[in-house]
Amino acid sequence: MKVLIVEDEPALRAALVEYLTQDGFRCEQAAGYAAAHEKVKLYEYDAVLLDLTLPDGRGLDLLRTLKADRSAAGVLILTARDALADKLAGLELGADDYLTKPFHLAEVSARLRAVLRRRHFEGQPKVEFAGIVVDLATTAVTVHGQPVILTRKQYELLLYFLAHPGRVLTKEALAEHAWGDGVDAVDSFDFIYTHLKNLRQKLQEAGGGQYLRTVYGLGYQLLDPDA
Amino acid sequence: MKLLATTTRYYLLLTAGLFMVASVLLYLGLDWALRSEVEEQLVNRELYLRALVARGRPLPATPFAYQLDRRPRPRALGFSDTLLLDPLEQEMVPYRELTFQLRPGDPAGALEWITLRKSLVETEDVLGVVLGVMLGVLALLLAGVVTLNRWLARRVWKPFQHTLAALRAYDLHRHQPLGLPTPAIEEFAELNQALNQLSQRLVADYESLREFTENAAHETQTPLAIIQAKLEQLLQAPVLQEDEQLTTLLSDALGGTQRLSRLHQSLTLLTRLENHQFAPTQAVPVYLDQVLRDRVALLEPLLEARQLTLTLHADLPLPPLTLHPGLADSLLQNLLHNAIKHNHPGGRVDVLLNRRMLEISNTGPALSVDPAQFFERFRKHNAASDSPGLGLSIAQHICSYYGFGIEYAYAQAGTRHTLRVQFC
Repeated sequence: MKVLIVEDEPALRAALVEYLTQDGFRCEQAAGYAAAHEKVKLYEYDAVLLDLTLPDGRGLDLLRTLKADRSAAGVLILTARDALADKLAGLELGADDYLTKPFHLAEVSARLRAVLRRRHFEGQPKVEFAGIVVDLATTAVTVHGQPVILTRKQYELLLYFLAHPGRVLTKEALAEHAWGDGVDAVDSFDFIYTHLKNLRQKLQEAGGGQYLRTVYGLGYQLLDPDA
Repeated sequence: MKLLATTTRYYLLLTAGLFMVASVLLYLGLDWALRSEVEEQLVNRELYLRALVARGRPLPATPFAYQLDRRPRPRALGFSDTLLLDPLEQEMVPYRELTFQLRPGDPAGALEWITLRKSLVETEDVLGVVLGVMLGVLALLLAGVVTLNRWLARRVWKPFQHTLAALRAYDLHRHQPLGLPTPAIEEFAELNQALNQLSQRLVADYESLREFTENAAHETQTPLAIIQAKLEQLLQAPVLQEDEQLTTLLSDALGGTQRLSRLHQSLTLLTRLENHQFAPTQAVPVYLDQVLRDRVALLEPLLEARQLTLTLHADLPLPPLTLHPGLADSLLQNLLHNAIKHNHPGGRVDVLLNRRMLEISNTGPALSVDPAQFFERFRKHNAASDSPGLGLSIAQHICSYYGFGIEYAYAQAGTRHTLRVQFC
């Protein structure tokens, strides 16, 4: 999966590239409007991660160019500006999703995956990890062949973990992913605690062992219990 | 009191005083002049009589005895005043009299005291007329001053009234300077010029403040995003798995970043509310009961974790309110969150929604702060709390943005807290 990262802040761009590369994306980067424009004209991308405020042009113009070229690339807008007008303009122009800074890297990755799934209706509508199989089309979950009934939130959290196997996910990132921006970071533990406890229990009861490891003070990690 | 009424009052006092003094002086002056005239006439008559007597002619007889009184006995000489009865009108009439000695007939004749009298009634009439005219003129003048000022108020003060109306209607959020005209009257022209300059400065300052807010928001969000991204990268470092101390450090740093980011979002929202930067075109009909249900559903895990019972009563059907959807959501979120945060385990949150108001009441420990400071920024019920204490301030600003009333009440010895939003 080829992703173009258009972001003018070198530090942020580097972090995105590194994180997404580890998550299995092939990343290319552009530091400004001109560079990004050249790249989208020359190459095909599966997705474009687009900062709206660039030093040499408007991100929205790049989005227009992509749409005018009938590009198949999914577009995820990243911006510091949480002005509703920009957001609406971006979505109207055909952006697939929108994230405001600061964001969780895991969330960027998960949203990119979601965009790509929607765009391409990927050939493998199943996600697998160490015996856990999730059918994205029917939302059926099995652990070692045993069906597991999950609530919607538990399903969302599990998918989030499956998108980042082995990664430490903070409780804030988990809470924000499942409940949206309205969650106060202070309460994130209260939000996810019960759901994670039940999810963990259900996976274990299906004979899966301890999939979710608690990282002290930080969050949780999806690990292969047999590894 | 109006400026004109004040000046008119002083005008009236001054003119009335001046007229009184003038009337007294005029009265005294006229009185003196008329008496002198009467005395001069009396003296002339005396001289005439003496001349007659000197030529050996007898004193003439007058038709009115009181005008020439001849007495053989001595009397006080010189001028004096007296009152005599007017037989016709049966009233006492003032006279001026002059008494002198004379030997009528022959030079060796008996000495006689002659008294000449002249009526002062005419002079009193003159004085009366004069005073009457003066008072009449005074009354006319006063009425004139009042009418003139009324007229001036309407005509000369018109530019001032215009300026005042323009100032009252002035709204900084339209980003327009005042643009007052330059009237013919110099003082008003100067006033308008000064006000125009003032409004231009205000607009410029407001614009730069707005730009600053926007830029500050943009410029701080980016470094924050970098910090957060870098910390999350650090999270994946294998060394963390072994080192618990490092994990704690990282956890604290991440927590701090999150709080800063929240704080920043809240302050930006408050600033945008204060600057009225939510375009009315973005407002849509919002069914508050739906938003409320969505919000409550989202907060379910939090209620569960705190073992709180939430009841929701909505008087359906409710008419939609025209609101900015993000603001409606933020208002409900902040109010509900407040009710959950300041509760005790096993407590209650009761939500009541009808056409007129939204009422959210919760159990909770008694307040330690003055309810009057309830909506102030950074006002925390508990100093150790992680929350920046902006939630209720945001709720209040959203309410005032839409002209809703918001009030706080507590009952049952301060353990039942109620926040009420009045929609009309």
